[in-house]
Amino acid sequence: MTYLMARVDPADRERLAERFRQIDGPMLRALAEAGLTWLRTNQQLVNSLNVFPVPDGDTGTNMTLTMQAALEEASESGEASVGRMAKAIAHGALMGARGNSGVILSQLWRGLARGLDDLATMDAAALARALDAARETAYKGVVQPVEGTILTVAKDVARAGLEAASTPGATNLDVLEAVVATADESVERTPELLPVLREAGVVDSGGKGLFFIFEGMLRTVYGLALNEPLLEVKPISQLQLEQTAEAIEPGQDWEVIVDFQPSADLDIPAFYRQLGEMGTSIQVGEGDGLYRMHIHVPDRTEFQPVEYVRTLGTITNVRIENLMLQMPGSAQAPSKPPLRLATPSPGQIAVVAVSPGDGLSRVFGSLGVAGVIDGGQTMNPSTQQILEAVEQLPTDKVIVLPNNKNVVLSACQAVELTGKQLAVVPSHTGPQGIAAMLALDPDGDLQSVAAAMESSMQAVRTIELTVATRTAKVDGVAVEVGQTIGLLDDTLVAAGQDLSSVLQQTFEKAGAGSAELATLYYGEALPLPEVHQLAAQLLSRWPALQVEIHAGGQPHYPIIASIE
Amino acid sequence: MALSQSQPAGRITISQKAVATIAAQAALRSYGIVGMASRSLAEGIVQALARDPRHGVEVSQRDGQVHIDLYVVIEYGTRVTSVSSSVAHTVRYQVERSLGMPIGDVNVHVQDLHISFTE
Repeated sequence: MTYLMARVDPADRERLAERFRQIDGPMLRALAEAGLTWLRTNQQLVNSLNVFPVPDGDTGTNMTLTMQAALEEASESGEASVGRMAKAIAHGALMGARGNSGVILSQLWRGLARGLDDLATMDAAALARALDAARETAYKGVVQPVEGTILTVAKDVARAGLEAASTPGATNLDVLEAVVATADESVERTPELLPVLREAGVVDSGGKGLFFIFEGMLRTVYGLALNEPLLEVKPISQLQLEQTAEAIEPGQDWEVIVDFQPSADLDIPAFYRQLGEMGTSIQVGEGDGLYRMHIHVPDRTEFQPVEYVRTLGTITNVRIENLMLQMPGSAQAPSKPPLRLATPSPGQIAVVAVSPGDGLSRVFGSLGVAGVIDGGQTMNPSTQQILEAVEQLPTDKVIVLPNNKNVVLSACQAVELTGKQLAVVPSHTGPQGIAAMLALDPDGDLQSVAAAMESSMQAVRTIELTVATRTAKVDGVAVEVGQTIGLLDDTLVAAGQDLSSVLQQTFEKAGAGSAELATLYYGEALPLPEVHQLAAQLLSRWPALQVEIHAGGQPHYPIIASIE
Repeated sequence: MALSQSQPAGRITISQKAVATIAAQAALRSYGIVGMASRSLAEGIVQALARDPRHGVEVSQRDGQVHIDLYVVIEYGTRVTSVSSSVAHTVRYQVERSLGMPIGDVNVHVQDLHISFTE
């Protein structure tokens, strides 16, 4: 926010404050239009903050469409009075309200119009009163308001407006500046009030949208552009750092990722400018005061970004990867054995398994699975994909192994949609699915075979190792971004820097001392010698344990293991 | 009647009352919903703020699926279609997430509008 005010010369500000001392109808419409334009410019950023997988959930789009409907109505009205103009905008917003955030936005406009009543022009006091009426009206629309949302931002803004207007000689510009600064802070505080935001590592999307509307108004008063999005700093969890080999162009020889804590406030535009001189594909993320920078640079300059960031603060982590090795035709992976699947006869029970990696798919194939669907933690297959796999089998008795808790629901939906007899054995992990396969009797009765498979599944415990994508506290364990985390049956039990020690801690929690067999399925990114080393360490600690190693081929999870 | 799921450890049953409570709580947190209403509006009694935690929700089972009917009071001056589809999505999401299984229809019956301000 301070960055905005700093761009305006004090003498200019004086002149602008005077010009906006009284706001009439056309001026209000111009401000609302600026709010809409700035919101639309930043629409994708607001959309990216969604945490609920609800169908009408694109908050940025919903709020933009609502504001658009509001302005269409207003542009047809030639109202000179601010009160009547506000009513026209409110009416348009009501008619065009889309989604939850759009409805709340329309209520805010309605309250604002109510607060202005039939005023010809508004001064600072009237604006503050109207903002407070907007808050009141918005809160009337819900029985149990959820704090940490757009409602909270509206409430904080109303308070700031009243306070700013109470200073003698206060102008509309004073109120608007206070409103924008407060909205900014209020949005940043939403994760403190709403746990679901904190867990997802985002701020509230509706609140952010409201902030952009107010900020757009202030920007237009200042005479700043509304069509270029801000150089964005995303939450760290939303950086897209995965790069496919095809996308790499000449001059993008190295990928450099640096985590750091700036020693002073980071000047984002200057930071982007400096990085822009070094390379391309620049992304900057922030979380809990820690910044992550991503860039692609040409060969032999791969240390430049690190040296530059060193001048800005304390570096906590550096990753430099040679992208040239990923180019097609360079390092060829050894050819893999083909996938063999069972071919059931009509009338027999066939199994369809969702598998996160090609190695695990082969294990499933060897155990008698007739159909495999690629999918896993980051790419859950749809009900449609499951349905297609089921439909193409030559039998009408099918069991689905989702092998991921996020896929169970889609699999259950397939049951409703197919004409075949379909049962879901709700396996949450690959190893559970593999254990379930051991109880498959293709010639048995569908429901009793499914029940037998489900109880066989309970005999194993699943261990999964992956890398934390954001800093959080989960299941009572504090995790920092970039750390290796160990999950035991979907519960986080260990975290640390070192793969081996996290694996051992997780095995400890799984009761490795009394277990007989551990099977490690190693991920696509983990080299085999390292896997052997991990296995040797497990054996030296638990000599009675038998350890088997299979290629799992899954992305993101260096190790998936079962213990029984 | 109750929902039931076979588990290796035994049978789990979830009563329709329990489902109704989840649905009602989700509905009351949904923006634009200012109360739950009785189904029989003919009696002329609309409780804007119900004390019964399941007031205004009916849960039924047909064809092996759970269906939910919501009887709601909406704030006058909001777009009724947006609020209704919002509450239907919210209730479906919360109930499915709590139960871990898909449900059938979520029907919204707007029984009344509540006027906070006269304009």
